[in-house]
Amino acid sequence: MKKSTPPHLPLRFFRWFCHPKLRDSIEGDLIELYEEWKAKSGKLKADLKFIGDVVLLFRPSIIRSAEGYQTLNTYGMLKNYFKISWRNLVKQKMYSSIKIGGFAVGVAACLLIALFIKDELLYDKHYSSQLYRVLGVITEEGNIKKGLAFPAPMAAALKEDFAEVEEAGRYNNSELFGAGPNQVRPDGVEDNAYDEGFVYFDQALLNMLNLKFIQGNPKTALLQPRAIVITKSKADKYFPNTDAVGKLLVVNNRAEQPYTIGGVIEDFKPTSHIQFDFLIGTEGLQFWEGEQKTWNASNYATYIKVQEGVDVAALEAKLSKGIIEKYFIPNMIKDGMPQTEIDKVFKEKNAHLKLQPLSKVHLYSSDINDNLVHGDIRMVWLFGGIALFVLLIAVINFVNLSTAKSANRAKEIGLRKAVGSLRSNIVSQFLLESVMFSLISFLIGLAMAGLLLPYFNMISGKSIVLPWTEVWFGPSLLAFALGVGVLAGIYPSLYLSAFKPIQVLKGNLTRGAKSSPLRSTLVVFQFSTSIILIVGTLVIYRQMNFILNKKVGYDKEQVLLLQGTNTLGGQVVTFAEELRALPQVVEVTTGDYLPVRGSKRNGNNFWNEGREDIDPGVSSQFWRVDPFYVNALGLKLVEGRNFSRELASDSSAIIINQKMAKQLGGNMLGKRIYNYASLWTVVGIVEDFHFESLREDIQPLGMVLGVEASVLAVKLQSGNMSESIQILTSVWNKFAPHQPIRYSFLDERYAAMYADVQRMGRIFTSFATLAIVVACLGLFALSAFMVEQRSKEISVRLILGATVNNVFQMLTWNFLKLVVVAFILAVPLAWYLMTKWLEDYAFRTDISWDVFAITGFTAIMIALLTISYQSIKAAMMNPVNSLRSE
Amino acid sequence: MTQMKKYQLGEFEEIVMLTVGVLYGEAYGVSIKKEIESRLKRGVSVGALQTALKRLEDKGYLKSHEGKVTEERAGRPKKYFQITAYGKKAMEYTKSTRDELWSAIPKVALDVKFS
Repeated sequence: MKKSTPPHLPLRFFRWFCHPKLRDSIEGDLIELYEEWKAKSGKLKADLKFIGDVVLLFRPSIIRSAEGYQTLNTYGMLKNYFKISWRNLVKQKMYSSIKIGGFAVGVAACLLIALFIKDELLYDKHYSSQLYRVLGVITEEGNIKKGLAFPAPMAAALKEDFAEVEEAGRYNNSELFGAGPNQVRPDGVEDNAYDEGFVYFDQALLNMLNLKFIQGNPKTALLQPRAIVITKSKADKYFPNTDAVGKLLVVNNRAEQPYTIGGVIEDFKPTSHIQFDFLIGTEGLQFWEGEQKTWNASNYATYIKVQEGVDVAALEAKLSKGIIEKYFIPNMIKDGMPQTEIDKVFKEKNAHLKLQPLSKVHLYSSDINDNLVHGDIRMVWLFGGIALFVLLIAVINFVNLSTAKSANRAKEIGLRKAVGSLRSNIVSQFLLESVMFSLISFLIGLAMAGLLLPYFNMISGKSIVLPWTEVWFGPSLLAFALGVGVLAGIYPSLYLSAFKPIQVLKGNLTRGAKSSPLRSTLVVFQFSTSIILIVGTLVIYRQMNFILNKKVGYDKEQVLLLQGTNTLGGQVVTFAEELRALPQVVEVTTGDYLPVRGSKRNGNNFWNEGREDIDPGVSSQFWRVDPFYVNALGLKLVEGRNFSRELASDSSAIIINQKMAKQLGGNMLGKRIYNYASLWTVVGIVEDFHFESLREDIQPLGMVLGVEASVLAVKLQSGNMSESIQILTSVWNKFAPHQPIRYSFLDERYAAMYADVQRMGRIFTSFATLAIVVACLGLFALSAFMVEQRSKEISVRLILGATVNNVFQMLTWNFLKLVVVAFILAVPLAWYLMTKWLEDYAFRTDISWDVFAITGFTAIMIALLTISYQSIKAAMMNPVNSLRSE
Repeated sequence: MTQMKKYQLGEFEEIVMLTVGVLYGEAYGVSIKKEIESRLKRGVSVGALQTALKRLEDKGYLKSHEGKVTEERAGRPKKYFQITAYGKKAMEYTKSTRDELWSAIPKVALDVKFS
């Protein structure tokens, strides 16, 4: 009887599902009943009855809850973890604020830069992916040059000759033909207003870009001669609250030839590389007789739309070959160019066409001179890299401080383990703690980002807002916070959870280690990054200084540029004479062609007389100026003379620069040279001056007489500038009462050419400061910790006769060593990176040794200051204080 | 109404309570089961009984303590149940509501029924 037990399986089942509180007593009941039944009716019946009872017991109130006690337990532990984390945070205010502060700075930087990058990557994504911009590529003297100006008939040829091209359209934004800035007014209004963003635009391109029309018919808006499409903001400016379609716009006072508004489109998105406001239709337009048919002048940016599913690489090759063979080469032959020269262009220099997807225009066009404002993929990488580094430095601080302060938590961990914590529990505790820190830091970082946004927008030249309302923003931020929290917590949690409880509780932990290899590595990394950023900042500022102080070959100070003088028509000469008579004015010249970027340019080829069919020609600039130009801008004549008003023959005189003289064979004075327009006699040679950015070499240049004056350059006497401007304004108002005076200064325009360098300098300064601050915070906390750990040792040393100086040196050297190592590592890398950067400039400063000397000195001084506070405090303390507790 | 809710006692629960009372001091799972089966001539499953006991204990009508370990139960303790003062009140309340209902039935109704 004793041996027989209830059936095993049902019993185990019962024991498994039953609530632990009830289990024993009910099991007792079951067994008692089983024995009774067995005695009464035999084993089989008892078994069956037992099974039945077990099955009937399987009901909600008896079954234990799915997690049983554990739910309660974990909740309690979590509460405990939070409590302890919080108490630790509050207890060590300095460490906590450094951890969180550093983290928050990293987060804020990362967030801003992520938004910046997102904005950059968003460019032109709203246009169809079938759209391509046609580029011309040619290799000259080892440099690959890209351009996008093509002959007028090329777009039509592309569409006609290639089935893969669904549509082709052009725009022309050259100021030579009246695009760009102009004076404008609605017909019937007297006062002119100044506006930029004029462009000649094909209806086909309008269709391809699929622009959104607010008024007018998108399909026919530009199909009438002298039609114009304007953006909504301009429609609101000139025709508020009315339907603008059909109204007339007068440009540059030419009331007899107004433009008729064919439609109003929405403003181009800020993330579009095409940014125009006045699109003038090309229907029936030609700038000179036969202009639309000629393959000799390249003025049109050409876009194509390819058929869906076309292999673009193959099409590119096909287009290039087709267009060159069918149009370019026959045209050159017709012009009498010898076959050797043609071969040179297409074989040796490998001239060909390329298709650039619109989505790549913004970031991958820094080598294309297209008069558009571009981003640069390298900047995106640079920014991204910096963001990552700042965050990494912050995370390193976190890891460093967590492991450094481990001694303080050792007893806690030992105790936890002694009362039954598993290692995994401790790991999750510290992960939780780090996530908590991360979340707090993210909140603060977010607030910081919000505050810094205006400043960031200023230096990055963007208008970014924090996308609170977008669905992805909150969750991805949270995910990022958790991710970074876990990442930063992994090492400390594994490190801390590995403590052996017995050793720790006995007090044997190797306390805090003077400098563990890992911690040293991290400090070295932080300082290397900071040093690279400091070197970068210094070099950029030096280059900027170099640019601003470089002798560019002309005098850019005290030159005022009066804009919009083309509306004066024939009166412009009288106006200039009147200005010249003023005592405040040194000289006045027509200033359409100015030695700064963004003013008028006119590319042309020159040959020595009689060589035009033999030589390839010198590709150069061809400017029309007046006799005052050379003096007004302070150009230096090295040979020959200036233009003279008295000599009628000077209408065919030309002044060239040294570069041109050299490329034409030298000794040019008095010789005659030819371009497509006519023959010119060289009367003077000026010293080379920089009329383009210092990134580029100086180009050949020829200047002839001409009266083109939409800008007057006025060289003023130094002295009271505001008074001079007042006087100029009064003269202006006499001549143009319906047009407000508009002016700028040549030196400002010059500096604006390098706005990107300045921006880069500011960005580097900001980030270098950030990186240094965060790294110093870390170093400060580490040194504080070290002093704390070694306070007894220091006290003993002091008692045994060490001087304050000895102690200070001992404590400081430890860290300075690391900074020195970081410096040695960073210098070659920084040198390499900045040399690469400077290669963008044809004219550049050198990276001299003093850049590194200054950087090294700064880094060491900063580190020294950071550490010395703690070191001196330790060295000056009364040894009794830390020894008496023993 | 709140009173009703407070002392709610199901039919089977009432029987269990009464039986625990009857078995005063000797009421544990098996004895209660047997007592009900012999007095009411109906089968009671261990599951049903234990559920009722647990619910009554949760409600505070019964309290329990573990008895000595005995051999015939393979070393499992017996869990003895006792009626609490609160449980007694509930039983009294149930009885009084029954009595009230009984006394409220008109004689005629009973007559008709019995005739």
